[in-house]
Amino acid sequence: MARLNARSIGWHAGTAVTIGLLWEAAARAADSLLVPPASATLAALWRLLAHTEFWTALWVSNQALLVGLPAAAAAGIVVGLALGRWPALARWCDPHVHILLVAPKIAFIPLVIMALGLGLLSRATVVAAFAFPIIAVTVQSGVRSVDPRLVDMARAFCAREAQIWRRVLLPGARPAIATALRLGLARAIAGMVSVELTLVAVGLGQLVLRFRADFDAASLYAAVLVVVAEAVLLVRLATLLEHRLGSSSPMAVAE
Amino acid sequence: MIEIAACRKAFLDPGTRTSAPVLDGVDLTVRDHEFVCVLGPSGCGKTTLLRILAGLVRPDSGSVAINGRPVTGPGPDRGMVFQDFALLPWADVVANISFGLELRGVGRGEREARAQALIHAVGLGGFEHHFPPQLSGGMQQRVGLARALAIEPEILLMDEPFGALDSQTRRGLQEDLLALHAGNRKTVVFVTHSVDEAVRLGDRIVLLTSRPARVEEIVSVDLPRPRPLDVAALPRFVALKEHLWARLRRQAHGRSEGDAG
Amino acid sequence: MQADAYATGWQPRALSLAAGAALWEVAARLAPTSFLPPFSAVIAALVTMIQQGAILANLAVSLGNLALGFAGAVAVGLAAGIAMSRFRRLAMVGEPYLTAFLTAPSLVYVPVLFTIFGATRLTQIGSVFLHAVFVIATTTLAGLRERRPGLEAMAASFGATDRQIFWKVRWPSAQPPVMNGLRVGVLLAVKGMINGEMFIAFTGLGALVRIYGGRFEADKVLAIILVVVVVALLCALAVDALERRRPSIGWRA
Repeated sequence: MARLNARSIGWHAGTAVTIGLLWEAAARAADSLLVPPASATLAALWRLLAHTEFWTALWVSNQALLVGLPAAAAAGIVVGLALGRWPALARWCDPHVHILLVAPKIAFIPLVIMALGLGLLSRATVVAAFAFPIIAVTVQSGVRSVDPRLVDMARAFCAREAQIWRRVLLPGARPAIATALRLGLARAIAGMVSVELTLVAVGLGQLVLRFRADFDAASLYAAVLVVVAEAVLLVRLATLLEHRLGSSSPMAVAE
Repeated sequence: MIEIAACRKAFLDPGTRTSAPVLDGVDLTVRDHEFVCVLGPSGCGKTTLLRILAGLVRPDSGSVAINGRPVTGPGPDRGMVFQDFALLPWADVVANISFGLELRGVGRGEREARAQALIHAVGLGGFEHHFPPQLSGGMQQRVGLARALAIEPEILLMDEPFGALDSQTRRGLQEDLLALHAGNRKTVVFVTHSVDEAVRLGDRIVLLTSRPARVEEIVSVDLPRPRPLDVAALPRFVALKEHLWARLRRQAHGRSEGDAG
Repeated sequence: MQADAYATGWQPRALSLAAGAALWEVAARLAPTSFLPPFSAVIAALVTMIQQGAILANLAVSLGNLALGFAGAVAVGLAAGIAMSRFRRLAMVGEPYLTAFLTAPSLVYVPVLFTIFGATRLTQIGSVFLHAVFVIATTTLAGLRERRPGLEAMAASFGATDRQIFWKVRWPSAQPPVMNGLRVGVLLAVKGMINGEMFIAFTGLGALVRIYGGRFEADKVLAIILVVVVVALLCALAVDALERRRPSIGWRA
């Protein structure tokens, strides 16, 4: 990102204010029940944050994230490592993983509910399903990007399989694993939101649906802002972590 | 006719924020149809001088004029050939050669006709629709040369054009360039760090000092034209080479003595 | 990754997909569940739905949403990317918003669209648009930011104007990232199509998923998922074909 000095902060602030004013003017002109002006949205946001019900909803939603993402990460990393290490395995599995990647996971939600009901387990499973394919694919490509001559070299020095992993493959794939986790986090958040907005109305999703039913558009916009803010914040943290993990990898240093 | 007088250029070093002079009063005159080689140690500013001639860089002081008119920017009277070929990787040979013509709005039919003629002139027949990654280095530079010739410039500016090629390819291209020059007699300013190449190709050799560069000496190459293939065996060739090497060696020693002192 | 997966020809991939389908069939018959019917049952449901006409009409609606939304995303995304590469101030103020909208789960924009457009196809088309446009803008901007000074100097030496340098050197040079953005963008557009239709479930394939899902008809849901996957793969292949057809677009350094 560009440097943040006084001038650029001024530009950013100016733009935000301009957008806010345009939004305000457009909404007032449209004078529709369902398009709230910026001022009403900000007021609704304030009310929302002050309400314990909101924080409870936030917690309930994120429980699925806290359970589902680590599960997806564990499974995705293991599968990705295996697919990267053994191309024969990858040849059989790649098309299926690719289909998983491309298929809209949101459409699987009814099936998950049929299997696991409406509780936290099914929400966490949806979150995991959203995140798993991208993690597996990214880790796989990370392992494949490790120079195969290094593996040959290790075998020439009589390294056992476990040693090849520990000394060559895992250090080499570490940046990709960090990237995979960041990408997986973004997808997991999408999963968390998807299941709540479609079939299992709890947490933030339930709030959004309730605001929609009540025609309380200002609060709906405010809730959406919260979701966007949470996603941006968490992914930003994950990116910082990714740079720290990635940059100290021996492969990155060697370049 | 190219006239360069008291040309000075300094670049701002972004790291240390100091001004590093590159050209320190270069005087040079190039007559029409002459083949002039600019020779000097690596990094002495030869390429900067050429880019000033091309109109890509403005000198800090001094004057650069072509046929009496000062150089203010690139122009149709000059064609440039680059060391790293600078071909468009997404365009085929014909498209690359006609690039300058396309910029000028020349019609497609005429562009292709001129490109075809040049393809044969530089020996690339059959490769019209190949792409740069499919061509060897020597072939890519032939495309670069054809591209410069396509706009029919009065002056060819060549920036170490054969520096990235292996010695066999380089020799072949030097001979082809000599043959082309015998045919069209364009004015050529040819930058090189190879003494052998300079004596082989040039009518006159301009020897630059190391940075900041001035003209140290101008040597006339009194070897027969057209150059025979075994020109390198002639005693005059050897004498010129040794003379230039001695000057370059003295420059290098002068530099290192200056450092040690 | 896309190019990687399709590098080895279609036969081994078809073979492994067939093996996967066979595995699915055997497993589902050995351990029957309500939520994972055998592959054959899914195909049977697909055929039934086609015969009843439900699928084709909704498929047409979905494809319409996809086409309109994606076309809009390409137009606006490319324009925004080009504009931001040209005007540095615009990039400076615009990029944080671009990144934020890209990072956030795009499904969450659909309720907002609903407040503006109501339960109409405009919301669904808007969903497709918003899912794809930010990726396309970001990759276009990134592609244009990778400059090739050697080629630009060469063009300048031939007297090219700034505009000529942009269209004849910078724009073609940016095609690989732009094409990547289109490839990722079209897959996101398909997601947006389903998201929009599942949230505003009155027409389209997503609506069918909602309806049959609500009735717990797993075979029909899986059949629709298959159709959507095929649509997505065809779209990705279309982008690949576009890239290959003209070397001026599909070159790689």
